[in-house]
Amino acid sequence: MIFTVGGSLLALLALSLPVGVVLFLLGIGVDQLYTPFPLLRGLGQVVWSSSDSGLLIAIPFFVMLGEVLVRAGIAERTYRALDSWFSWLPGGLIHANIGTATMFSATSGSSVATAATVATVAMPQAEKLGYDQRLFAGAIAAGGTLGIMIPPSINLIIYGFLTETSIPRLFLAGLVPGLLLAVGFMAITAILCKLYPSLGGPSRSASWGERVSGLKHLVPLILLFAVVIGSIYAGWATPTESAAIGVAMAMGIAAANRAFTLKVLIDSLLGTVKTTAMVMFVIIGAYFLNYTLAAAGLGRELTFMLENLGLGPYGTLMVIIALYIVLGFFIETMALMIATIPIVVPIVIGIGFDPIWFGILLIVLVEMALITPPVGLNLYVVQAARSKGKFSDVMIGALPYVGGMLLMVLALVLFPQIALFLPGL
Amino acid sequence: MPETRQTEWPMRIVTLLARTNRTIAIICGVVLLVIVALTLAEIALRQIVGRGLGGVDEVSGYVMAGVAAWGFSYALVDRAHVRIDVATGRLPIAGRSLFDFIALVSVCGVAILVSWYGWNVLSRSFQGASRANTPLETPLWIPQSIWLGGWLWLALVSGLLAICVAALMLRKRWEEVERVAGATAESGEEP
Repeated sequence: MIFTVGGSLLALLALSLPVGVVLFLLGIGVDQLYTPFPLLRGLGQVVWSSSDSGLLIAIPFFVMLGEVLVRAGIAERTYRALDSWFSWLPGGLIHANIGTATMFSATSGSSVATAATVATVAMPQAEKLGYDQRLFAGAIAAGGTLGIMIPPSINLIIYGFLTETSIPRLFLAGLVPGLLLAVGFMAITAILCKLYPSLGGPSRSASWGERVSGLKHLVPLILLFAVVIGSIYAGWATPTESAAIGVAMAMGIAAANRAFTLKVLIDSLLGTVKTTAMVMFVIIGAYFLNYTLAAAGLGRELTFMLENLGLGPYGTLMVIIALYIVLGFFIETMALMIATIPIVVPIVIGIGFDPIWFGILLIVLVEMALITPPVGLNLYVVQAARSKGKFSDVMIGALPYVGGMLLMVLALVLFPQIALFLPGL
Repeated sequence: MPETRQTEWPMRIVTLLARTNRTIAIICGVVLLVIVALTLAEIALRQIVGRGLGGVDEVSGYVMAGVAAWGFSYALVDRAHVRIDVATGRLPIAGRSLFDFIALVSVCGVAILVSWYGWNVLSRSFQGASRANTPLETPLWIPQSIWLGGWLWLALVSGLLAICVAALMLRKRWEEVERVAGATAESGEEP
């Protein structure tokens, strides 16, 4: 059954059917072929109960937060400010790409929006200043993935929702690995550009005056991040409610920059509804698929197969990691997470690993999936923002950062405390 | 002139659907803004008075179900639903159009199925006068009919779009098919 389901999944995706539809169709197929129950009759109830969720409303809230900031032009200002702080490093502006992506990750929950924005602002600069476009574009794609690791993160909310794990603890656990990845990406850039100066562009240094005046664009974002996260830990707000606070603050920041026009508001609302609908279609499809897979006993079959390999906890974990890396080449990330979590997480907990820790490990693997071809959404987004050049440029440019993510996976397995230290306090 | 008028109706329907869905999406967005405001009021009251409005969480759930269901059609006309065109993107444009058509039909099929079985959920709530097991005791048929309406609308919109695309294909208007139903710019269609 495992291979039939996996094979049909890839085949249906290759027909370019919408991902959500593919999951629904697979669910119907599993029901017809592998279960004696008339599961389809429960379709209505499953769809209703998976969408009637006061927790998931955090998704449109965090999307809206990001939309308002992006459409009000806050990203451009952030980019220029970070340029003045980091461009003296070998690799110059590339560090501003990573930094802007990191800051937006910290305030919004979406990777794709982050990558799209930074790409629009930054790519023209690359051409003007004569950067090697490959590493430059790759850094945007990779930096954008941090959006799902650094809290608030939509993906972590979904993980918590599906595994009944504490979302505030997941947020805390993601903070250090997320920042480590950001610093790691900058280190990779600096080392590569030191070794091969042709990869980067001119290092420039800004005066301290410019840097200080740039701060006024950075402080509001840091404040926004602190209030959203702080309100959760102070016990004022649930993660969902904190998202509403974030929306209000984002509108405040936009208004303070005299950029909160009616057009910005309407475009933000439209973007929010569109992204929410897109994500929810996949979530609901995956929810239905899981419901049929559970009835058909796929989890049991997979557990049995893994146990028969006789690998022990770490061996099994390696198989699971390898599986995610391979699946990540081909499957869209939201679908990948939602379709596998209910099956894989019980197994992982069963062999003695911590569910919070595994959530963070999973996010690194999903981040990798976002920038590995052929299906890597962030690569496409960055390519779409470029006026010319081959898609493979972005792909190659992202490779060093994939290496950084692999190191992070290894570090998390060897030192689980990287993730568990903060929530354990 | 009958010739041009004949070729125009599919695109006219497409434009109409796009406009209607944009309006619906704006309404969904405004409802979300209301929930943001309610949530803020809830937090503030809890901190200041020590007691919140109550029920905001429950209403948020209904809004989520409604916004998602009614948003699907907007995402569809704006070509935002994720499709992987690594394989089909290499086909000539007529072949791609065929897959765009199949994708629309598949969405329509799923929407009809969900509406069909969703109807059971709604009619059971209505007949049993089910109320949510919460302080608000919301009669469930109210949020559920809004939700089901969204899925029925998706069935209608995707069905109409499929018909329009079929008509455009018969007229060999491949570029228009691509604009209406093609996989999105994320596919890197521009070389």
